[in-house]
Amino acid sequence: MTVIAQAAVPRDVGVFEWLFDPDSWAGTDGILSSLADTVILCAIVVVVATITMVPLASWLAHTRRGEVSVSWLVTLSRAIPTFAVAGLLVPISLRSGWGFEPWPIFIALLLLALPPIFLNTYTAIQQVDPGAVDAARAMGYSETEVLFRVELALATSVILAGVRVAAVTVVATEPIRAFLGGDGLGRYVRDGLGQNNDGLVIAGAILIAGLAGLTALSFRSVERFALPDGVRRLATTATR
Amino acid sequence: MKFSILKKLILLTVALAVVMTACGDGDGDSAVDGPTIRLRGQDFSEAVTIAEVYGQYLLAKGYDVEILTPAGFRTEAIDGLRNDELDLIVDYIGGSLTALAPDAATSADPDAVVAIIGPAYEEIGATLLDYSPAVDGDAFVVRGDSPATTISDVASLGYVFGASAQCFERPQCYLGYTDPAVYGITFAETVTVEFGPLLGEALAAGEVDAVVWNTTAPQITEQGFKVLEDDQGLHPAQNIAPIISTELLDAYGDQLRNDLNELSAMITTADLLAWNTETDIAKRESDDVATEWLEAKSLN
Repeated sequence: MTVIAQAAVPRDVGVFEWLFDPDSWAGTDGILSSLADTVILCAIVVVVATITMVPLASWLAHTRRGEVSVSWLVTLSRAIPTFAVAGLLVPISLRSGWGFEPWPIFIALLLLALPPIFLNTYTAIQQVDPGAVDAARAMGYSETEVLFRVELALATSVILAGVRVAAVTVVATEPIRAFLGGDGLGRYVRDGLGQNNDGLVIAGAILIAGLAGLTALSFRSVERFALPDGVRRLATTATR
Repeated sequence: MKFSILKKLILLTVALAVVMTACGDGDGDSAVDGPTIRLRGQDFSEAVTIAEVYGQYLLAKGYDVEILTPAGFRTEAIDGLRNDELDLIVDYIGGSLTALAPDAATSADPDAVVAIIGPAYEEIGATLLDYSPAVDGDAFVVRGDSPATTISDVASLGYVFGASAQCFERPQCYLGYTDPAVYGITFAETVTVEFGPLLGEALAAGEVDAVVWNTTAPQITEQGFKVLEDDQGLHPAQNIAPIISTELLDAYGDQLRNDLNELSAMITTADLLAWNTETDIAKRESDDVATEWLEAKSLN
């Protein structure tokens, strides 16, 4: 018979008691470190999705190429179940010696982030007032200038809205990583479920929802500042 | 136009009625009178097969049994009994011990474990029936090339440890391995891995160096791993045993008790390993595996 000195972890922690305890935030298992894990991965995913999809979609939309195939592709890719993709990739990644992280979850989240950014950029550019484009051409703008100085400028707010949607979705989905051998903000939900600790599950859910909400808010302010001066003036004239 | 919609609605209603009548036909053919026995397996392959074996066995004996979709693990199973959502669960006695009396001393002797959990189950209105000779214990598993032969040997190896979230809060698991009074191992790192085949994948890939698995996981021999000896006797006895709602048991009387005890006595550890090999390696359905075993034993 073996008697263990260390007692079991208490079954239930109070949600706010846990959230307001400085000990929960510090250390390698703490909230701050998990938060950093999550934010870094999400940021990389959104940046990669943006720098690949915005140029591709702008060019396709500017040249009016592949309208039908593009919309089909995007619709199909939206039907991909992220958790299943990541779950299938984990054993493959392990067998190939790449470990649990970051490839499976990165690819799964990237597939989630690509469609909204692509779709918003494509539609925004496609729907720019043809009068403005014709006027720019008549003034002697080259095709590159038309794309950069007219179409992209007028499409900025819609493109940024696409990036925001992608970012919020990615942040809200990233916690599945905790169920696939990783950590990040989802770990509290995972541990809480595994240890039948409802307080921890709820606290973890609050943290995830909070981060997703914060992401949406900060993107709103970025959208306000990133708008080109001319477009902002246009917007104020239009609403007046 | 309106007429055709009406016609479709009528057709749909008739079709529904036919389906519902067809579904209703199943009732009334049970040979033993008494309440429905609601049974649910825990959500991993061995437990699902065990639940199917018990469920199909009782069905064949003429009881009215409802085998629910497997969900959750031990805590959900015990909660189900406590809240009267389930009437019958099958659990590993040492696991029940960690759930019902987490601070009690562990023992490798099943009778010592039963002496503690029997009364604990009575408190929630359930009765622990005879345990089976079939054992699926905790296994501290390392790769075949590890120099360790006992868990104590791991202390100096600086291993990365992988286990499910449940393990990290259990005195008979992670807390016991790291407790200086028991094994006192300092792991280089810990990784939380979902319980199941992923543990083997992680171990084979070298992501972790040691995992806590179960002794009847067929992948252990399949993938050339080895189970280290529990030299400090931390792991409790893990025979499987059915636990049934006392109220339901009283409604049926001794016949149900005898029937269940008879089945438990017939299941062996080798059977568990064989079932897991069928479901996890050959990827077959648990209910088919259960049916075949019952047929082979002429129990259905």
